[in-house]
Amino acid sequence: MAGDNYLPPLANYSEGIMVNKKPVIEFKNLTYYYSLQEKPALKNINLTIYEGEYVAILGLNGAGKTTLQLCINGVIPNMIIGNFEGDVLVNGLNTQEYPTRELAKIVGMVFDNPEFQLTQTSVAEEVALGLENIGIPTDDMHAIIEDALETVGLDGLQERSPFELSGGQQQRLAIASALAMQPEIFVMDEPTSNIDPIGKDEVIAVAAKLNTEKHMTVILAEHEVEVIAQYADHVIIIDEGEIILDGTPHEVFEQVELIEKIGLRTPQVTKFAYQLKEKYGLKTKGLPVTIDEAEQFAVDTFKK
Amino acid sequence: MRGAVLPISMVPGDSPIHKIAPLPKLAWSFGVLIISFMTRNPAILGAIILAGIILVTIAQIWKPILKVMAILFPIMVTTVFLQSIAPAFPRPWTPITDIGPFTIYQEGIYSGITLFMRSFGMTLFSMVTIMTTHPSDLFSSLEKIGMPYTLNFILTVTLQLIPILQHEFTTVLSAQKSRGMKGTGFGAVLPSMVPVFVGAIERVQQLSISLESRAFGSTGKKTSYRNVVMRGKDYFILVTGFLATFALGYWIVVDKSLDWSRTMTFSPGLSLTLVITTALIFASFVTIGVTRVLRA
Amino acid sequence: MNEPLIVCENLTHIYPGDVTAVKNVNLKIHKGELIGVIGQNGSGKTTLVKHFNGLLKPTKGKVIVKGQDTSKMRVQDLSRNIGYVFQNPNHQLFAKTVIDELKFGPTNLGLPEDEVNERVEKAIAFFNLEMYRDHHPYRISFPLRKLVGMASIYTMQPDVFVMDEPTTGQDHITTRIVYRLIKKLRDEGSTVICVAHDMILLAEVVERMLVMRDATLIADTDPKTVFSDKELMASTHLSPPQITELSYRMRSKKMIGSIALNINELIDASSKKYNLKRSK
Repeated sequence: MAGDNYLPPLANYSEGIMVNKKPVIEFKNLTYYYSLQEKPALKNINLTIYEGEYVAILGLNGAGKTTLQLCINGVIPNMIIGNFEGDVLVNGLNTQEYPTRELAKIVGMVFDNPEFQLTQTSVAEEVALGLENIGIPTDDMHAIIEDALETVGLDGLQERSPFELSGGQQQRLAIASALAMQPEIFVMDEPTSNIDPIGKDEVIAVAAKLNTEKHMTVILAEHEVEVIAQYADHVIIIDEGEIILDGTPHEVFEQVELIEKIGLRTPQVTKFAYQLKEKYGLKTKGLPVTIDEAEQFAVDTFKK
Repeated sequence: MRGAVLPISMVPGDSPIHKIAPLPKLAWSFGVLIISFMTRNPAILGAIILAGIILVTIAQIWKPILKVMAILFPIMVTTVFLQSIAPAFPRPWTPITDIGPFTIYQEGIYSGITLFMRSFGMTLFSMVTIMTTHPSDLFSSLEKIGMPYTLNFILTVTLQLIPILQHEFTTVLSAQKSRGMKGTGFGAVLPSMVPVFVGAIERVQQLSISLESRAFGSTGKKTSYRNVVMRGKDYFILVTGFLATFALGYWIVVDKSLDWSRTMTFSPGLSLTLVITTALIFASFVTIGVTRVLRA
Repeated sequence: MNEPLIVCENLTHIYPGDVTAVKNVNLKIHKGELIGVIGQNGSGKTTLVKHFNGLLKPTKGKVIVKGQDTSKMRVQDLSRNIGYVFQNPNHQLFAKTVIDELKFGPTNLGLPEDEVNERVEKAIAFFNLEMYRDHHPYRISFPLRKLVGMASIYTMQPDVFVMDEPTTGQDHITTRIVYRLIKKLRDEGSTVICVAHDMILLAEVVERMLVMRDATLIADTDPKTVFSDKELMASTHLSPPQITELSYRMRSKKMIGSIALNINELIDASSKKYNLKRSK
């Protein structure tokens, strides 16, 4: 049928059910209050993320995206004081039982302000920092550093000062520094919000590479819905600490009314198709969420 | 635009001095420090200065050294002036001549000049060390002789933070000027400091989370990226440094005739010229400083 | 009566270290315009707008604001006419309450207290900050802080608002609020100049686009013309909004006649072309 044409091939899903993949992160009845706050930052979160997924988290400012991510590497509850109920298991390990610096060996994390993450006098040393901390032998470091820099497209810049790089380059350096530790899970909190368009594209491309080439489970909090619809295979929408939607890009973004009620928006092409259908009563199966699907949608709808 | 632009930072280069490992250089600088404080003998201090000048020439770092000197020079000169009229020296004092309400003392001039030479020599040697050594190598060498890793780290981060905070401050100042900020005194500038501090705190908070996320402080063996290798000649220089310091120190302690404080005399004419010149430099230094602060 | 507010004549700016950030820019800005300045980082767009309130002075050429040459003027004096909203509100905010923050600008202009209070009330109403009057600026959320930053310039009632990335990093709700506020400012008679990467802002809100690339002003025209020029867009490495991209494709497949800058435009174009009948 026409609708099936625009569903992208979903590697990990088969009729919406994970096939043969192990869960790497499990949130079980998680409720969290920041200290002295009356309203919970996260409310009754039940969520499973499987190995190799590219997960996108959407939500308004303050909805709980960052809070959720900080629970993955144990910053919450170990570094930030608050009221933590429920459990978060990472590779089967309970985050309440391990300090962040230990969980850091399996969870890499990159934050939104690239500059705030850099401390060393050269690019190579910045990447080496994590390696030093996990005891990688000095002789092995050079190869690992070079590989990490190549993955993010910064090879050759080993001796530069991190503070002389552009925003996009700095963010990619932050990614390389986390990547060098070869984590299984890679978490990024709005990595593109403070950088220019070229930088944005670079960072998004690297994130995709980590997922497809390095087989890492990638978890990305973002505002750019068009980008998410293009790359993610698992989309989660959080509002006021609760998970409102959880599924594939199609399952989530086709819920136009619900998404707009929260105050978010769908990819422009999805809204376009939706409005077209509503206004003119067109019959199609499903809505496009990417530009290629939208092009196909237009052809199918109009050239008939 | 960014980058560690402190006047005191490493100057890239390929000189023989650059090629020496950090520890020997540190040892020599330390030795110079010790000797400078042990004696006021102008000949010894003069020799140290001469040696320093030779090293600076070999390392080809005259331009940055002169920049540093430009800042230190007025301070050192002021010391000479002040010392001449009020020696930091045990009495009795031998007056040479009078200038206005002040009396110029022989011990004062001796004290002033030797203090000048002392600081000059120490500055030269320490600058040579800092400017020809990569900070990370310096730190990893210090770590080898027992300095804690965390302290090292704090120092590296601080080095990075200073130019960044300077830049932040300038941005904040622009923002406030864009809101018509009146007044140029310190009082007007103070509110601008608030955003800089808040920014710094936010940065540090984020940094600590970010570092933990890279296993900073975790259990297990720690390794180091930068590997400083000490070669034969480095050991040689290190050992010579220790020996020279020891020998010189011993000689100073033992040979009382090295103390020229009572035996060196200065003619009234020379003393007067010296004091007037340094006084003028002192005065202009103070005037420039004050007007800068008021006008900021 | 229609004298330009801002004129750039052969404006060139060279930073120390011999970096030419802006080369030979000529432009005129009139009252009531809604302008977007785009370009990659390093293209010179921020350098350009910093000349408007005197934060930077020309190395060569002239910048004339309301008939006066800026090279002899101080930022504080120009701030009366040209308001500059910094990208990071944290760089501006230092007072104990939002109200105090809003009072700072007009007080600096030397206005009497009741005039200052009147302006502050107007700003609170315009930006809908009633609930936050006595809050500490650093205790309110970042999007609100950005609004306070804008409000604190609003109270100075400048003729021109220069905004550095007003919507970057914001969520959808706040972004829409900012779009609305920008339009409202212009409706009140102000001129608004936004330096931005937000393509939707540029496609749906601004009326004139200045495109910078490698220190040169390579285009100065309306958004539709800019976005229609695929070569221009490609050379700046900026992608148009997704809906515009879709309209490109539909146009090249001869499904519609011209490109669309927003969703409604594309719907209208499609429905006209295919004679769609409204349901219900």
